[in-house]
Amino acid sequence: MWHTLLLYRRLMSVQMRSQMQYRTAFVLETLSTAVIVAVEFGSVALVLNRFGGIQGWTLAEVAFLYGMSETAFGFMDMIFAGFDPPVFGQHVRRGTFDQLLLRPVNITAQVMGSEFTLRRLGKIALGVAIFAFAVQANQIIWTPLKLAYLPIVMFSLFLFFGGLFIIGATITFWTVDSIEVMNILTYGSSFTIDYPMTIYPDWIRRFFTFVVPVIFLSYYPALYFLDRPELAEAPPFAPFLSPVVGIGLLLALRFWHFGIRRYQSTGT
Amino acid sequence: MSIITVRNLRKEFKVSKHHRGMMGTLRNLTTREFTLVKAVDNIDFTIARGELVGYLGPNGAGKSTTIKMLTGLLTPTGGEVVVNGRVPHQQRQLYVQRIGAVFGQRTTLWWDLPVIESLELLRHIYRVPPDRYRQNLHEFTSLLEMESFLNTPVRSLSLGQRMRADICAALLHDPDLLFLDEPTIGLDVVAKERIREFVRHINSARGVTILLTTHDMADVERLCSRVMIIDHGRLLYDGRLQTLQDRFGGKRELVVDFAEPYPEVTVPGATLTHYHDLRATYEFERQTISASELIGLLSTQYRIRDLSVREPDIEGTIRRIYQEGLLTGDA
Amino acid sequence: MTFHSTTGRIARCPSQYLYPTMRLFWEFTVRSFQRHLTYRAAAVAGLVTNFFFGILRVSVLLAILGEQESIEGYGRAELFTYMALTQAIITYLSLFGWYDLMNAVHSGEIATDLLKPMGFVSFWLARDVGRAAVALLLRGVVIMALYSLFFDMVHPTSVAQVTAVAVSLILALLISFGFRFLLNLSAFWSPNARGIGRFGFTISWFFSGFLMPLAFFPAWVQQIAYLTPFPYALNVIVEIYTGQLTGPALWQTLCIQLLWGLLLFTLAHVTLRTAVKRLVILGG
Repeated sequence: MWHTLLLYRRLMSVQMRSQMQYRTAFVLETLSTAVIVAVEFGSVALVLNRFGGIQGWTLAEVAFLYGMSETAFGFMDMIFAGFDPPVFGQHVRRGTFDQLLLRPVNITAQVMGSEFTLRRLGKIALGVAIFAFAVQANQIIWTPLKLAYLPIVMFSLFLFFGGLFIIGATITFWTVDSIEVMNILTYGSSFTIDYPMTIYPDWIRRFFTFVVPVIFLSYYPALYFLDRPELAEAPPFAPFLSPVVGIGLLLALRFWHFGIRRYQSTGT
Repeated sequence: MSIITVRNLRKEFKVSKHHRGMMGTLRNLTTREFTLVKAVDNIDFTIARGELVGYLGPNGAGKSTTIKMLTGLLTPTGGEVVVNGRVPHQQRQLYVQRIGAVFGQRTTLWWDLPVIESLELLRHIYRVPPDRYRQNLHEFTSLLEMESFLNTPVRSLSLGQRMRADICAALLHDPDLLFLDEPTIGLDVVAKERIREFVRHINSARGVTILLTTHDMADVERLCSRVMIIDHGRLLYDGRLQTLQDRFGGKRELVVDFAEPYPEVTVPGATLTHYHDLRATYEFERQTISASELIGLLSTQYRIRDLSVREPDIEGTIRRIYQEGLLTGDA
Repeated sequence: MTFHSTTGRIARCPSQYLYPTMRLFWEFTVRSFQRHLTYRAAAVAGLVTNFFFGILRVSVLLAILGEQESIEGYGRAELFTYMALTQAIITYLSLFGWYDLMNAVHSGEIATDLLKPMGFVSFWLARDVGRAAVALLLRGVVIMALYSLFFDMVHPTSVAQVTAVAVSLILALLISFGFRFLLNLSAFWSPNARGIGRFGFTISWFFSGFLMPLAFFPAWVQQIAYLTPFPYALNVIVEIYTGQLTGPALWQTLCIQLLWGLLLFTLAHVTLRTAVKRLVILGG
């Protein structure tokens, strides 16, 4: 275990150094991941500012959801990049995944260490900035419980997205053709939780409650942090389920190991 | 003592049928049919410690499927594989600690890192003791003449340099067994020779067992006393290369330079294919007549200035074996 | 040095190369069509994903609309139409990025392309028209049909309006091509052109009205946007399709589209010539 962790750290630092070698490219790419968030959030901000919010949520309140989602997803996209379904699918098709299997180290750690996209720092920085703006503008009444719970929510959301990437990567053992559908789960849930869940049709809300239960990692906790009136109608435990759902990652890992076993029996 | 034992090894794949053309595309939309492909079909062999064996076969014959099962990447459909005392696909992570593998077509090194840092990283991956690592590194880098490019990033190496670095990387942890897949592909003659020299060295001096798959018959000729040939998933031949050559080697040639012109130079047992300007070329089969008999016959009748025997090349022999299915009757 | 002769050729009248260009266009169309049929699973996956994201996006717009009848000419039906059109157009205009030319420059393939007996820009335009035609027919139309099946949308009501939409779509492709071509040419100057490209495409989402209908933005943002070519590649198509742009305003819009298209196309020619000259001087 210790050996695996040390090795993961080494592999990660290799990835970082390789990316830093091309300094200009690195700076540009980092900036561009930031610009995408800036432009997307900018357009939302301009419109919400003009029309005074969306279904009773102010721009600052939306920013709370938005910042949380972008930050957690950004971190996940950086650290779990080895599992990014299209990237991982390429590794499987090109036989580079086989090379990892030929090494006497835990395979999950190796896949995680195979990519570390430092340029996502741009997206993360913007996400943090949006979140900071939200915290400041909403005048949240902080309690010790809220302060303690915030990192847990963030971390759970991060793990949850990571689990989705792992599931997507595992599916590429079967097919790469239709892997685009995974975007519904990954980018789809990240986009969905940028806004209050009440704006969506019922079936979408149900989908993100029961199938991909991301609603417990963002919307319900946000009601609690922001003391929104919708909190009264929600089940009282709903904002506090995030650690449970975050552990969904374990299920994803089960599926991942099942996928590897199948890959070993079928090849590609 | 055997290091690899393979018994009744089988691997079957389900392949979905694809119909071609416009109507075919429409049929693909509506139906899904599978055919069962026997990639490896009941193979048996054992390899003893310290052997250097060539594993040959045309593309798609089942070579790489076998290697994948031996390295633990694939689970067999049936049969038994025991390598180095372990069942590869069941104890993969433990098993791979004791083997090395080089795939000539792609590198296992880190593209943007200097060679030495990749090797350093592998030292940690395989937990090679520092002393042993230094010793091995020193020996391999000098034998493979790698000193000049140890600090070059892998992406800027030439193919030959990259291959040498990959071979070195596969051996740092003192594996008992080395899988070499096309280690000389795309290299020039000098580079090929250097790699063969090194492979021979680690086999004889360190006793590393080597399974070599290659399309380059010169590799096989120089390195392997034993070859196995696989085609259509079945093991067609397992034995000495020379035996194969003797049986299927086709026609040998004798070129004779006569001391004076003769109007008639035919001999029984050989065919005259060419006769011009004092030089005659004969073709003969080793089953019919031996070279010394033929030379004896000629020298009793004619004054000979010089002669030479040309052996058929192994490349051609192997090609004929594949194309004409020469071995399929025996198996 | 071999590039010298081609430099002159690029600027020449394209008519004598019309036949090979048409051939090329046809070949590309047929090939992408076949590919599309072969990868049916990918096509279906793309469709499902596209549909799902469309619904997420329109939910945001509908929530902003709230109880109001309409905002700036956009009611429920117009918003559904906006969403369907923008989703249908993604592949047609390669909105999410197009780096083919850039890759050809970086791999050096470009040298052989420059030697081909036809105008270089026309060669790439022909390729792109082929690609776009297939994208429009196999993806765009299917997406539009799918969305109209589920939602109440606004459709063109007259032959004239349909014609205007078609003309506008073609001009939009010309604008989009010019922009993408120019963005890709940065590869001649910078090894980091991909980053530059990503910037460019991101900016274009904002100003073209892909992220939000431009009418939803504050007036000053709209004024800035309409100084750029981007709204003429996307936003105006929606407004023509939904009937918000009619009469003289429609004619004026089509003219501006044409002007932007020609301007960007010419700019592509000129920039390419500078780029090639640079390549010749530097010896590739």
